[in-house]
Amino acid sequence: MANTKSKAKTGRQRSEFLWGWLFILPTTIGLVVLNIIPIFQTIYQSFFKTGDFGKGNIFVGLSNYEKVFGDKEVWQALINTLKYAIVEVPFSIAIALVLAVLLNRKMKGRSVYRTIIFLPMVAAPAAVAMVWRWLFNSDFGLINNVFKVHVNWVSSPQIAVFSVAVIGVWSIIGYNMVLFLSGLQEIPRDYYEAAEIDGATGVNAFFHITIPLLSPTLFFVLVTRVIGALQVFDLIYMVIDKSNPALSKTQSLVYLFYKYSFVNKNMGYGSTIVVLLLAITMIITVFQMIGQKKWVFYN
Amino acid sequence: MSLKKASAIVLAGLMTVSALPVYAEGSDVTLSVSIWDSYQEPGIKEILSDFTAKTGIKTELSVVKWDEYWTMLEAGAQGGSLPDVFWMHSNESERYMSNDMLLDLTDKISESEAIDPANYPEDIWGLYTYDGKYYAVPKDVDTIALWYNKAMFDEAGLEYPTADWTWEDVGEAAKKLTKEDGSQYGLAVRNDNNQAGYYNMVYDNGGYIISEDKKQSGWDDAKTIEAMQVLEGWIKDGVMPSLETMSENGEDVLFQSGKVAMVLQGSWMLAAYKGNEYTSANCDIVELPKNSQTGRRTSVYNGLGWAAAASGEHTEEAWQLVEYLGSKEAQEKQAQLGVTMSAYTGTSDAWSQSADFNLQAYLNMMEDMEIRPYSKSTVTWENENSEILKGVYTGDISMEEACKQMAEQMNEKLAEE
Repeated sequence: MANTKSKAKTGRQRSEFLWGWLFILPTTIGLVVLNIIPIFQTIYQSFFKTGDFGKGNIFVGLSNYEKVFGDKEVWQALINTLKYAIVEVPFSIAIALVLAVLLNRKMKGRSVYRTIIFLPMVAAPAAVAMVWRWLFNSDFGLINNVFKVHVNWVSSPQIAVFSVAVIGVWSIIGYNMVLFLSGLQEIPRDYYEAAEIDGATGVNAFFHITIPLLSPTLFFVLVTRVIGALQVFDLIYMVIDKSNPALSKTQSLVYLFYKYSFVNKNMGYGSTIVVLLLAITMIITVFQMIGQKKWVFYN
Repeated sequence: MSLKKASAIVLAGLMTVSALPVYAEGSDVTLSVSIWDSYQEPGIKEILSDFTAKTGIKTELSVVKWDEYWTMLEAGAQGGSLPDVFWMHSNESERYMSNDMLLDLTDKISESEAIDPANYPEDIWGLYTYDGKYYAVPKDVDTIALWYNKAMFDEAGLEYPTADWTWEDVGEAAKKLTKEDGSQYGLAVRNDNNQAGYYNMVYDNGGYIISEDKKQSGWDDAKTIEAMQVLEGWIKDGVMPSLETMSENGEDVLFQSGKVAMVLQGSWMLAAYKGNEYTSANCDIVELPKNSQTGRRTSVYNGLGWAAAASGEHTEEAWQLVEYLGSKEAQEKQAQLGVTMSAYTGTSDAWSQSADFNLQAYLNMMEDMEIRPYSKSTVTWENENSEILKGVYTGDISMEEACKQMAEQMNEKLAEE
């Protein structure tokens, strides 16, 4: 009797194991085919001087890397990318967090507000960029005309990258807010009630209860947002025209990758740039993983 | 059964049916056709439907913006899924021809009754010939002329530009047409307006961009630099909007919205200006100015080609389409519809009647033409040149310095070809 029982258990375990794999199989295949294999192909390609249409590649060893490290344009692009990230990440997280907290109570029209704030996320980035491009236009744009100023928002080398970051913040807030909302709903009300008895309300409760208990979600959003911001491309591509004098001070690493790979048809050099970005992203993420031990609380 | 369930089943059924391929018309062939200019789309569509009416071969036209067009074509070429028939440009043709991406049309052209190479400009064939083989049939030719805003000239009390103008006259008029408050400028020539802009000035001054053998840049030639310094003068005189403004809005938009009085534009822009009420009412065209020293009036010219994919499934039908598009009938229609000037000799006269502008100016520009400079890596060095020229517009470097930098980087890239 005991024997058959244990047999049944292993049978069930095996079936669970099989089903489990079956369920993640589509995702795994997608990941391997669309992400993992291309990553290695890209790394492989970065050691070649690529020929036209992927034919006649010549192995050149590390010479692409030597060129990248000596290329001022690449380092400027890295600075631009970091500038963008430094604006986009903190602002999109801070604003989204405040909005999430405000919308996490019973109030009239709550779902309307939530929908409105989430809407930019649904709009196509290209369309978003086109609209903002007109808002920012220095001669005919709404912003300059309403405030009666003449600022070259998207064509002055000093500020263009920040203007683009503003668009980035605007389009990502909704998504971050939804993530924070789900995190907030997991915080038990008891903590706030207990804190209220002890006299901690409002801002105090926010910093001593909400933030620590939300820290796993915060950490997740931070890591994904940093990676996302380092990969910025579409906004810059749509907003900054090729003849724009601010281009060299706004183009990101992915933009350069696009330029070399698909405009200049120099796939090898393009791959090298993107491998550099991969390395930088990994280093930043590793530091974040180490840093999380200091501030993220898992119950 | 609940309503929800029933509708779900109906929906699922519909999806299955619509997912099935439709073979209603038997084995009819549909050719995919790709172009990049949405202004030409209506005219091209009409010509394509004539073709379908004649041969029964259907076509599907898609328009992809210039920048993305080449990305798409590149990916298609690499993945073996090029459109059946598409536009080719001198910037890229050599790469595609030398890698056997385009259908070799040599034998087909020699057998064809509709296509006789003698009926098209030799230079245009040159763009699409590799190793003595033809890879595309000329679609059009384009020349450059000067567009001006009559209302602004009237307001400033100036005579309209004539065919006798020199570049100095343009500069003088531009100064008078520029208003101090920045609401109106005399002229707009953007840093990347090479073919329609400063290339013409370089060639009529006796300079050049690239040597005959495509090995040497002409940017550091004294004559080239001298011509470019005229442009530098305009920048310094402030007769053009800032590069910021030109980049955010584009020369054509500034001209169409009455912000600049003169622009240098190619004949391919006609469709855009014809459709604009303001330009139709206020603007006109005149031949490009002459060079005061050489007395030469030159238009840089170019022409697109209709090419077919070598890897296509329906190369026979694709050739039929290319042949039709190059035939006298289709070329004449293209001119009549005002799509562009046509490559077929003598068909462009119809084009000059297609709008109420002085289109004859563009035809007159054909008397002295230079083919648009090109090599295998045109795009790479051309983009880099525009990037360097930005520095002149923003006042960071002198034109002479910029020309030397452009020559240097271009020679480097030409050496790698």
